[in-house]
Amino acid sequence: MDAQVVIDSYINSVASRLPRRLRNDVGVELRTLLTEQLATAAAAAGRSPDEKLATDVVRKFGRPEEVAARYSPLGFQIIEPEHAPVFVKLSAACVAIQWALTLPAVFVSRMTFSQWWMSWGFGAFAWVGALVVWFGLVTWGRRRSLVDPESLAPRWWHFLLWLPLPADWRPVDREALKRIERRTELGAFPLGVAVTIFLIAPAWFLGLLTPAGTNTSWALYDEHFRRTLLPVLIVLMVVRLALCATAAMNAGLRARLEMIRYGLWVCFVGLLFWTVFGWHIFAIPAVDAGFKAWLLIYLLVNTIQIILWTYRALTQVRVPPTVA
Amino acid sequence: MVKANDNSATKLDTELRRGVVVLAVLSQLRTAQYGYSLRQALAERGMPIEEGTLYPLMRRLEEQGLLASEWRIADGPPRRYYKLSPKGSRVYAELTENWHTLVKTMNKLLD
Repeated sequence: MDAQVVIDSYINSVASRLPRRLRNDVGVELRTLLTEQLATAAAAAGRSPDEKLATDVVRKFGRPEEVAARYSPLGFQIIEPEHAPVFVKLSAACVAIQWALTLPAVFVSRMTFSQWWMSWGFGAFAWVGALVVWFGLVTWGRRRSLVDPESLAPRWWHFLLWLPLPADWRPVDREALKRIERRTELGAFPLGVAVTIFLIAPAWFLGLLTPAGTNTSWALYDEHFRRTLLPVLIVLMVVRLALCATAAMNAGLRARLEMIRYGLWVCFVGLLFWTVFGWHIFAIPAVDAGFKAWLLIYLLVNTIQIILWTYRALTQVRVPPTVA
Repeated sequence: MVKANDNSATKLDTELRRGVVVLAVLSQLRTAQYGYSLRQALAERGMPIEEGTLYPLMRRLEEQGLLASEWRIADGPPRRYYKLSPKGSRVYAELTENWHTLVKTMNKLLD
């Protein structure tokens, strides 16, 4: 093959990857430069330009796609590098939450594993697609400067487009947040005790609280649930209440009990999710469905609290006592 | 371990050089040059730059308005000559001043 054919082939390969406006101009310039380089290489080798020399020259110059990219970046980022960790975490969390909420149905034989996989299981990856679209729009919006990152209003744009909020950063008093949590917890303690007692036998308590002869049989538990899962749930509720009271009364024990209480909280919420999706709680289906709807709201709030608690715990810098 | 250190040193050296490539190129384009002659001028002064890096860089600097170019036909094939544009001259002067300040600072730090 003629040496010039090698050069021309290479030039065409580079040019085909360039934007149209640059293609010919860069192609002609490169052709001149590489031909000159080939002549120099041939003179140094003491022979006429040949295929091998030409191949060496263009190989040394770089692969056509790399050279083309140096002239004009061809690719673009769908997700900005600084957003990548948030994207990965959000994607993983969305898939994990969907699986955690729906997989219990397989273990209680309400659906087979393959049915689950073909519906909820594989379907969870739709979250990843949705997040790619969201983050892609964010990247596009930022590149097009739809919103000034330094502007403060409207504030919700910042959350929607993952824009930084540099100017209005304010310190967060985590201790104050904990104090509010503790006060709320203490305030809700009597309610927790009342609910725990009531849930042991709701039909019986309703019979005590309503006029004689009122039918309270609609509040009877499903027999299987009452015999097997209810005692476990009640014990967990009692233990949680006991730990809450201990932590409130003994400040020294509070920090040591924190992880145990957190673990029990997660277990309790997980168990309740399983109960909602895998068990009949009340004997009458309509009562069961209504109670589960309220329970799901409770679980949603608790799941958000657990996520926030975990985030705070994982991101908090723990200053060693010697440094403090 | 030694190999890893060597790699790190090479990478850091490349990073260091990458930072000054633009200034080196601008410095040699106060008079018009085409790609091959510029590469040789830089190599002769101890700053060899790969062709695959240099030629696209000249184009990018032109797109940024720092260089002006024109095709010239003299004794040989047509060649594209590049030279500092008025904006490029201003930027070059500014970068040169910054470079001298930086060198003084670095010398103080390294001594």
